[in-house]
Amino acid sequence: MHLQTLPWIILFLPLLAAVVITLFTQRDRKTSATLSISAIVIGFVLTVIFIKANSFNPEVKEVSLNWLDIGPLQAEFGLRLDALSLMMLLVVTGVGSAIHIYSWGYMHEDRCFSRFFASLSLFTFSMLGIVMANNFLQMFISWELVGVSSYLLIGFWYEKASAADAAKKAFITNRLGDFGFMLGILIVWAALGSLNFGKLEAGLADNPAALGSLATLGGLLVFCGAMGKSAQFPLHVWLPDAMEGPTPVSALIHAATMVAAGVYMLSRTFFIYTPEALQVIAWIGGCTALLAALVAVQQNDIKRILAYSTLSQLGYMVMAVGLAAPEAGMFHLTTHAFFKALLFLGAGSVIHAMHHEQDIWRMGGLCKKMPVTYWTFMVGTMALAGVWPLSGFFSKDAILAAAWHHSMPLFIIGVGVAALTTFYMFRLVFVAFLGGERSHEVGHAHESPWVMTWPLRILAVFSIVGGVIGVEALFGGMLHPGGEHPHGLAAQLVYPFKHAPVAALSGLAAFGIGLFAAWTLYARAKEDPLPARIGTLSRWMRDRFYFDELYEATVIKVHDATAAVVDWFDRWLIGFAAVRGSAGATSLFGNVLRFIQSGSLQAYAFLLVLGVAVILFFVLGR
Amino acid sequence: MSILTSILGLPLLAAVGLAFVPRDYRFVMRLVALGATAASALLAVLLFLKFPGAGVNADGYRFVQQIPWVESLGISYYVGVDGINLGLVLMGAIVAFAAACCSWNINMREKEFYVLLLVMSGGILGAFASLDLFFFYFFHELALIPTFIMIGVWGHGERKNLATFQITLYLSIGALIALVGLILLYVQSGANTFSIPALTRHIQENPMAPGSQNLIFPMLLFGFGILVSLWPFHSWAPLGYGSAPTATAMLHAGVLKKFGLYGLIRVALPLMPEAAHGWMQFLAWLCLGNILWCGFTAMRQRDLNLLIGNSSVAHMGFIFLGIASLNLIGVTGAVLVMIAHGFLAALTFGLSGYIRQQTGTLEMSELGGLLRKLPFVGAALVMAAMAGCGLPGFANFAGEVSVFFGAWQNEALRVVMVFAVWGALVIGAVYMLRAVRAVLHGPVADKWNDVSDATNAWRKLPFALLLASLLAFGFFPRLLSEKIKPDAEKIVMMVNAARPLTPALSAAEADSEEAHAAARSRDTATEGN
Repeated sequence: MHLQTLPWIILFLPLLAAVVITLFTQRDRKTSATLSISAIVIGFVLTVIFIKANSFNPEVKEVSLNWLDIGPLQAEFGLRLDALSLMMLLVVTGVGSAIHIYSWGYMHEDRCFSRFFASLSLFTFSMLGIVMANNFLQMFISWELVGVSSYLLIGFWYEKASAADAAKKAFITNRLGDFGFMLGILIVWAALGSLNFGKLEAGLADNPAALGSLATLGGLLVFCGAMGKSAQFPLHVWLPDAMEGPTPVSALIHAATMVAAGVYMLSRTFFIYTPEALQVIAWIGGCTALLAALVAVQQNDIKRILAYSTLSQLGYMVMAVGLAAPEAGMFHLTTHAFFKALLFLGAGSVIHAMHHEQDIWRMGGLCKKMPVTYWTFMVGTMALAGVWPLSGFFSKDAILAAAWHHSMPLFIIGVGVAALTTFYMFRLVFVAFLGGERSHEVGHAHESPWVMTWPLRILAVFSIVGGVIGVEALFGGMLHPGGEHPHGLAAQLVYPFKHAPVAALSGLAAFGIGLFAAWTLYARAKEDPLPARIGTLSRWMRDRFYFDELYEATVIKVHDATAAVVDWFDRWLIGFAAVRGSAGATSLFGNVLRFIQSGSLQAYAFLLVLGVAVILFFVLGR
Repeated sequence: MSILTSILGLPLLAAVGLAFVPRDYRFVMRLVALGATAASALLAVLLFLKFPGAGVNADGYRFVQQIPWVESLGISYYVGVDGINLGLVLMGAIVAFAAACCSWNINMREKEFYVLLLVMSGGILGAFASLDLFFFYFFHELALIPTFIMIGVWGHGERKNLATFQITLYLSIGALIALVGLILLYVQSGANTFSIPALTRHIQENPMAPGSQNLIFPMLLFGFGILVSLWPFHSWAPLGYGSAPTATAMLHAGVLKKFGLYGLIRVALPLMPEAAHGWMQFLAWLCLGNILWCGFTAMRQRDLNLLIGNSSVAHMGFIFLGIASLNLIGVTGAVLVMIAHGFLAALTFGLSGYIRQQTGTLEMSELGGLLRKLPFVGAALVMAAMAGCGLPGFANFAGEVSVFFGAWQNEALRVVMVFAVWGALVIGAVYMLRAVRAVLHGPVADKWNDVSDATNAWRKLPFALLLASLLAFGFFPRLLSEKIKPDAEKIVMMVNAARPLTPALSAAEADSEEAHAAARSRDTATEGN
């Protein structure tokens, strides 16, 4: 199968669906949903066909059109297909398909059903654009489009003030990151004269010092973009608020798209980072992982807990990139896409059944009412907590092993976060699914329809096997450099224990500790016992370490104050001093004003003649 | 009659024709105005499509027509297009048609309104098509004066009088300074011609003395600058647009304002290259005034029209920045932004006019939740806001990003660039999304129950047309850039080639000399690759 056609179809089908829905099928709910879902499912099928035909390393890696070329600015619109982008393509279309199908059930009663699917398809298109981009500018374009689609989806229920605010916050926070990204792109372009990833990589390989003194800065600026999209500390504040959107959107943002974009971009542009830049990246990732895990421990909203767990896992992935192991980050991204989509869709199923109740302390005992949701959610939880042999164990182990080899402090943080992860996830499960019914809504809860439970089942299967099956094909030599490739299922299952036993065993020990702590504190708890035990720390965790307040007091205040001062000057100084400065001018032009105000055509004609006379006077008076 | 003369002549002819239509025949008046602008827009599209294959004259212009007028002074009616003004003529004609469509709610002195609107449209197109300095200026005046009258008579709002006062005062002075500059240029060049191509040829062979360049260039820079609301001469713009009738704001903010920028690119840069080099660093800092100052001011506005007006002023900063970079990418980007911003400004003012007509106010604290009541207009406004904060897919992004690359290439502008990118990506997003949040999002108040959306195809048409233009050039910027590039390159060559021939202009400028030389050598180096 030719490279020239299939990927283009995969990329543009969702855009086509979005356009057709917007222009023609707004009123026809069924057609709109069918269009949107088939666009991504066909995309998935075509991706599989393409990979079957070409394997993960097609002969022709790139195909591009000319988008804009002005002198030295050569901006292509091109696709780059290698192992990295093809694997990401599988994840985005695969997990995306499950979420699209699930949305049909979840959003069925919403009156803007068509608009929802149009935005969803636009989102998919933008994300596919990032995945297949072969140059910086195209990536930036898709990057911005992801930003705007997330704006549309988070603010889907725009009549709700909180949703509208969250959408705005997400977009602007992302723009803060994009500011750095754009400057980074400019620096790289000015030094190397190209935007194409392949050419840049080759150029840097030829002359590692090409970026000169700006190398570290340029890399970090590009990383700023990833900080925004992948919600890294301190640009993480938008992600928890983003759950104001419908739950399938949260699943999409948190699992397969958007936040994954940052990590993917880091892997794609890994060649530009200097060791110093990588060090910074690793520490920002580590801090994000730790802070977010701490915050998750004291949240009570089911989606908020999951949101902070996403933040924390993203921290892991970014840390992996910083530890010079981008393949481990991508591995975790893939498995995380499965189990985080599963968890969010499971949470959506719970929220759907509970009539939009999201407080876990008002749930309880749901395991009997919703067995499919419970068991699949349990699988997702165990995968996230890193239970052997579920998928999460292997990917998290890859990161911990990288930390073990490179940086002891980050390894300790990583293990600590693993324990915290198990603790807050099992807190959620114990409180929401087990125990007695905590509110009467639970009595009316019932299992969701098949269109919602089947995506859960499918994602659960992938969450279980995603860590071993197909990993070799996907990552090939990337994951296990140095020649010790595990062959066969059994070898893969035990590989982590042979390769870096300390990391693997620490991961399992962390799981044990977390589970034990959660069991003792929450298995029979009527209310949260933690605030009483750790006091202030618990309050800080509950209030998200006051980051939003910090932003309110700094960035927002500074902008507002500047705007107020500037506006004041604009009104009084420039507006008045310049125009009304002298009384003479005022009275003189007051007459002109009155004259013009009459609005008669004679006046107009006179002015015109006056103008011509002035010209002639100058010309002839020469 | 050549196609170009028809494009600019049709609206003028229709204006004359309208004078004979009795006052009560309102339908006929609308029909004439719509018909003339529509025909002119269609011809402009045809012109755009036929451009690549059309014959080129010795100076690189196509579709030229020259009729001598005052031969002793060298004035002739001379029109023609090259890559630089082709897109502007297309944009101007489309916006003129859209503005005529958006005038349906005028119900006082309709006849005069349509006459003025048509004169303004014809004047604008004439100014962009003219290759003769005299007509270039004359057509601009022809379009400018109706602007003042329309704001004064059909304007609205409490501060209408102040607005009319300011805009008349500022723009008359600006135009006057530019006029004096142009006349001095004519006199100093000694070519005894008003023809721009002839002047350019003459000056290439006999460069003007640095002294006269340094006298005339600032006159054109600030004269034209005032017309484009260059900071700090911008305060007329937001207020003027806020009070203007919809069609006037669309035409002035969208098209007429680009006259000054076009004049800078077409006249000031190629004719006075040395002075241009000297002043560009200064201009770059002034344009930050537009981008940051007016961006911050926009954040504080409570009236939607004032917010849009300020954002429109802020966008001018990117065009100035593109010009100031004095290289191919920057100048091409500047022309791209000029065209894109024309469509965008017309779109946003058209939409805000529609909302004001429905609600009677643009006070943002009063509005809210209107997206539910106005799905079409609201969605269009969201798209306009997104285009305004530089979202890819709209033509503005292609232009702004080229300006960024161009300005970055000029190492002297890098500090300015950092702030400009902040203004584009962050401040722009803050005020645009704030407007969307305040006007369209949130719960809808009961008092807006009677608000109705644009359901009629005629009401939708202007917005759909402008959005389609923005998207078409946003997806395929090469439609424009390929045409702009060769002619932008000529201008950049003239600016940069003339430089080494002359000695340093003055002691004060000797410092910046080295920086420019370095930038230039790097330009040629990268172009060689």
